[in-house]
Amino acid sequence: MTELTEAMPPQEAVASRPATPGRKAPSRAEIAAELGIKPPPRWARGLPRGLVAFLTNKKGMAGVIILTIIVMSAVLAPMIVPHDPFRRAGGPHVAPNAEYLLGTTRVGKDVFSQLIYGGRTSLLIGFVAGLAATVIGVFVGVAAGYFGGRIDEILSFFVNVVLVLPALPLIIVIAAFVEQASPLVIGLVLAVTGWGFAARTIRTQTLALKTKEFVLAAELLGEKKWRIVLMEIFPNMLSFVVGGFVLATIFAILAEAGLEFIGLGDPGAVTWGTMLYWAQRNLALEVGAWWEVWPACIAIMVTGAALVLINFAVDEITSPQLRASRGVGRVKAFLKARGRSVDVF
Amino acid sequence: MSSDRVLMKVRDLTVDYMGDFEVLRAVENVSFDIREGEAFGLAGESGCGKSTVAFALARLTRLPGLVTGGAIEFGGEDVLGFTGDRLRAYRWREVSFVFQSAMNALNPVIPASEQIIDAIETHTGKTGDAARKRAAEMFELVGIHPDRLDDYPHQFSGGMRQRICIAIALCLNPKLIIMDEPTTALDVVVQRDIIEQIVALKAELGFSVLFITHDLGLMIEFCDRIGVMYAGEMVEIAPAEAILTAPQHPYTRALGRSFPPLSGPRVRMEGIAGSPPDLSELPVGCRFAPRCGEALPLCRHAAPAMISYPEKRCQAACHLLQ
Amino acid sequence: MRFLMRRLGFYLAAFAVAITLNFFIPRWMPGDPTTRIFLGLRGKLTPQAMDALRASYGYDGNLWDQFMVYLGNLAHLDFGVSTTNFPEPTSSLLFYSAVWTLLLVGLATAISFVIGIGMGIYSAWNRGGFFDSVFTPVNVMLNAFTPAIVALILFYAFSLQWRLFPLGRAHDLGIEPALTFEFIINVLYHATLPVLSIVIVTFGSWHLGMRNTMIGLLNEDFVALAKAKGLSDQRIRYRYVARNAILPQITALALTVGYVLGGALITEYVFNYPGLGKFTLSAIQARDYSFIQAQLLLLTASVLIANLISDILNLILDPRLRSRTQE
Repeated sequence: MTELTEAMPPQEAVASRPATPGRKAPSRAEIAAELGIKPPPRWARGLPRGLVAFLTNKKGMAGVIILTIIVMSAVLAPMIVPHDPFRRAGGPHVAPNAEYLLGTTRVGKDVFSQLIYGGRTSLLIGFVAGLAATVIGVFVGVAAGYFGGRIDEILSFFVNVVLVLPALPLIIVIAAFVEQASPLVIGLVLAVTGWGFAARTIRTQTLALKTKEFVLAAELLGEKKWRIVLMEIFPNMLSFVVGGFVLATIFAILAEAGLEFIGLGDPGAVTWGTMLYWAQRNLALEVGAWWEVWPACIAIMVTGAALVLINFAVDEITSPQLRASRGVGRVKAFLKARGRSVDVF
Repeated sequence: MSSDRVLMKVRDLTVDYMGDFEVLRAVENVSFDIREGEAFGLAGESGCGKSTVAFALARLTRLPGLVTGGAIEFGGEDVLGFTGDRLRAYRWREVSFVFQSAMNALNPVIPASEQIIDAIETHTGKTGDAARKRAAEMFELVGIHPDRLDDYPHQFSGGMRQRICIAIALCLNPKLIIMDEPTTALDVVVQRDIIEQIVALKAELGFSVLFITHDLGLMIEFCDRIGVMYAGEMVEIAPAEAILTAPQHPYTRALGRSFPPLSGPRVRMEGIAGSPPDLSELPVGCRFAPRCGEALPLCRHAAPAMISYPEKRCQAACHLLQ
Repeated sequence: MRFLMRRLGFYLAAFAVAITLNFFIPRWMPGDPTTRIFLGLRGKLTPQAMDALRASYGYDGNLWDQFMVYLGNLAHLDFGVSTTNFPEPTSSLLFYSAVWTLLLVGLATAISFVIGIGMGIYSAWNRGGFFDSVFTPVNVMLNAFTPAIVALILFYAFSLQWRLFPLGRAHDLGIEPALTFEFIINVLYHATLPVLSIVIVTFGSWHLGMRNTMIGLLNEDFVALAKAKGLSDQRIRYRYVARNAILPQITALALTVGYVLGGALITEYVFNYPGLGKFTLSAIQARDYSFIQAQLLLLTASVLIANLISDILNLILDPRLRSRTQE
């Protein structure tokens, strides 16, 4: 190889060649301004990076705001509702007016009061079932991923069984035998059947984290296993746990509404699902009492949409690739403005 | 073999990464030339921006990376301005790329044959049997039996996969091959084999190489000239053997000391004290000053310019040389 | 082959779990079904008749004997006598209604998968663009609208208000069920709204899944190599990115069949469609427990078969799985 270098002609200084008129790059601050990259707002400084990323995510915050409004109105329901949601408050099927904001049901109950009040049960059951499913999922997922071997085999078998068993038909069977399942029973069954996805995601994450340096270092230092799991592994997959919780909650809220809608719930309870059940039974649509049907529908849809928005934000935080996609438009504009080819991937 | 005609001219190349809340400058104002038939090496610690430069030259910068400044000229043409058919021709006909991990560089679910034939069919008139014949030739050239053309990537060993990648890189006789740590993922024996093969092929076919590796000894052996990068900047460009024998920049010196000598008595290796700066908090002045044993007060507030020293056949950016 | 045998073994085990659950759920609950039927009839049944009923339901003897009898009956596809359609066996109504449910689910899944994957590919390739920024979130939100509500809206608008679609049934009564063009068109006409409801609440997840998987793959070296080779955009998109991104979607497809089935049950209720969902609900009203339990087993079997099909598809599409089976 020395032969090659000896054959080289005396070096001429590169700088002395007529340099191409290469455009020097603008400063980092100028680039940031052009691409719309802003430093975190002052109030967010010092918070953990993931949290700041979430707090500054437009979709995520939109979801949080919508959800907060819905949750607050449910919590404060007794102070908001003008009528007792369980008793008749007026004539049957009164159209919406100043006194009955969303009209009345066929038996004369105030729809607005039912809607606000119904949110309490629907949301509570949804969140509790979602939380329970996530807790089970995290326990099973972490145990399977971290301990591996026989434990993993057995736990993974159950995860896969829960994943392949059709949840709704199973719930129908259980609900049918319980006869008029109270919201609590429905929530319980949803938690027991809904933890599969969370467990699978968490197991994958644990497997990935297990081989990371900081976990290996803690093991070498002789840290106790539960401490490693709690202090090293768990905090690093928090966003996946949150994502799993959001998905499990969406599933629980929708499934609860669906089950009650087809009449498997307790018809005496006031929830969004039972509101739909009575509306359907009373042929509200057929007789033109649209106000008995749509408010509960819209409440469920808006709640679902808000949770989906939050899940979007969580996805973007966990994946740098997805986050980068948001800036594609600005990058293209940057290249176009400089007459360069727009070939971004 | 290398002439003094310049094949690729890189000027003030700057590559930024778009973070969530700030822009990070991974490569700043890097300038160098690659001559026809030359093997040019890029050295430096990991994270110094070598690979970022390599990807930028091949027009492969991926999001969130973005080339924000400078120029790349290839045979007198402006590479950053290439679009459409011109860009597609530049890719692979003129410049090809060998990735660090052959495991990830081949699509696991389509056969190896398809991954070399599609390059041949896209760029030459050859189709069907003619393209396949060329692919078989390339396999033979890198020492893999053409019977194995239709195997899937996972059916080959790591070394064979990297040979396939080299075969793909060579199939159109490009003028420049960028090799980004082509042997790092392989064991030492296979590494030797492959490097020897690349040297032989280069002698036979006469392409230029941009070579990146962690192994400074290997780089000095293989390359004609070497550029040393630190924290996103070029600090020295010199003939390969001068990197060890006559390093100009203190960082080059430190880098050389941290590698075992190729021959002669074993001496204790010295690592470089400290660690490279965080790209979001670069020091004012010379970026190496905080780790430099010889830093002057000037070094801490004025960044040194890249200046050429014809008598030493090198360029370096250091106040100490003034 | 080993891969397939292993999967098959798992499905058999999963089915065994479903059978066991199915056996124990009614026995765990307070009061067995026969007692409830007895109470429901308010003394119209003599205690002797009660014992006979109990025997015919397989609730006499010790638990182990009951389980054996239950398994024996299952082996003959004997799900017991239907109380709603007495003295018809449960299986005849079960299989009749299952045909319609599987038709809905099959059509809806196929349409939803094709639309969702297509949109996912487009939006991944033009990520950050108008379509991607608007329709990705919107389509995923549709997912959260639940089949019940979407079915209600469609039913209200198209069947009640505009009278464009029928108010129920799987086909018109006056038409002879046969494989004629006329009959098939009629069946599709009746299935349109139920299928559409399921499609609306499911295609968003394919859109998002395919998009996110593809965007993740863009960072892979083999995609960079394809790009570096100067291949056409089309070729990179389909042969190098979508080709790989479809594999996890096929796995997910099988897992969502259970969810889609659940959605179909609710949709049938709204559209008065004679599938499993509608009859299961009547069965619940009529305390026809044999039918309720049989539908769970049938649906579980369908999901497991769907999983097996997806395994076979994956085996065909992923050479890595194939060679592992040769080991």
